[in-house]
Amino acid sequence: MKIAVSGKGGSGKTTLSATLARLFARQGFPVLAIDGDPNPNLGMALGLDAALQSELHSVPRSIIEQRKDAAGATESVLTQPIEAITSQYGMTAADDVTLLVGVQVDHAGAG
Amino acid sequence: MLGQLIEKSNQFTIIDMEASVEHMSRGTVRHVDTMLIVLEPYYRSLETAGRMVPLARGLGIQRVYGVANKIRNASDEAAVVDYCAKHDLELVARIPFDDAIVDADRAGKALIDHNDASPAMVEIRALARRLAEAV
Repeated sequence: MKIAVSGKGGSGKTTLSATLARLFARQGFPVLAIDGDPNPNLGMALGLDAALQSELHSVPRSIIEQRKDAAGATESVLTQPIEAITSQYGMTAADDVTLLVGVQVDHAGAG
Repeated sequence: MLGQLIEKSNQFTIIDMEASVEHMSRGTVRHVDTMLIVLEPYYRSLETAGRMVPLARGLGIQRVYGVANKIRNASDEAAVVDYCAKHDLELVARIPFDDAIVDADRAGKALIDHNDASPAMVEIRALARRLAEAV
């Protein structure tokens, strides 16, 4: 199952995303939580240790490569297996939830 | 890039989306099967969500659900219920306003670690069970 959580800023979508992630993990699912917000705080909402939060980095764009498909259309593909990406750039939070920050941090827009 | 990560994920995947509707592109959510739209019982929140519903449907997401949040009383609940009826949106959870969420945030903790039995937790747990049953 792949669930996107959307809503206005401040609506509580991050708390909801994090809590669902932890609950699904406790139900026995291997869970990947992706922070798609340019002002990311899913780590904190998941209960990730403060020291680890400061070490969180977003997945670099270099994991994507543009290729031409058979019909000549451009498509984006990952340059390495997803497992390699989660182990290199992901963090493991409580209940074994894997966290990836998927969007470049927008320092200028913080707050 | 988000879209690629979502597509290739072989885990149960949850994406905390960017707030602005304009960034919801087909590439990003193409591989999402369920979208939860968080609805606060305020005009601006409902208006923003109102733009998301047709977009989400237009992007071909299989299940698009509303989740009411920060519900303080019956009129809050009625505002969200009316909204969902108007947009033909199935409301799958009604999360009450909960001080535990504010307290957890202030303490820098996860809600589930701060207060596992708070009113919001009870409702979110019921939602998680309901969603997992759909798998």
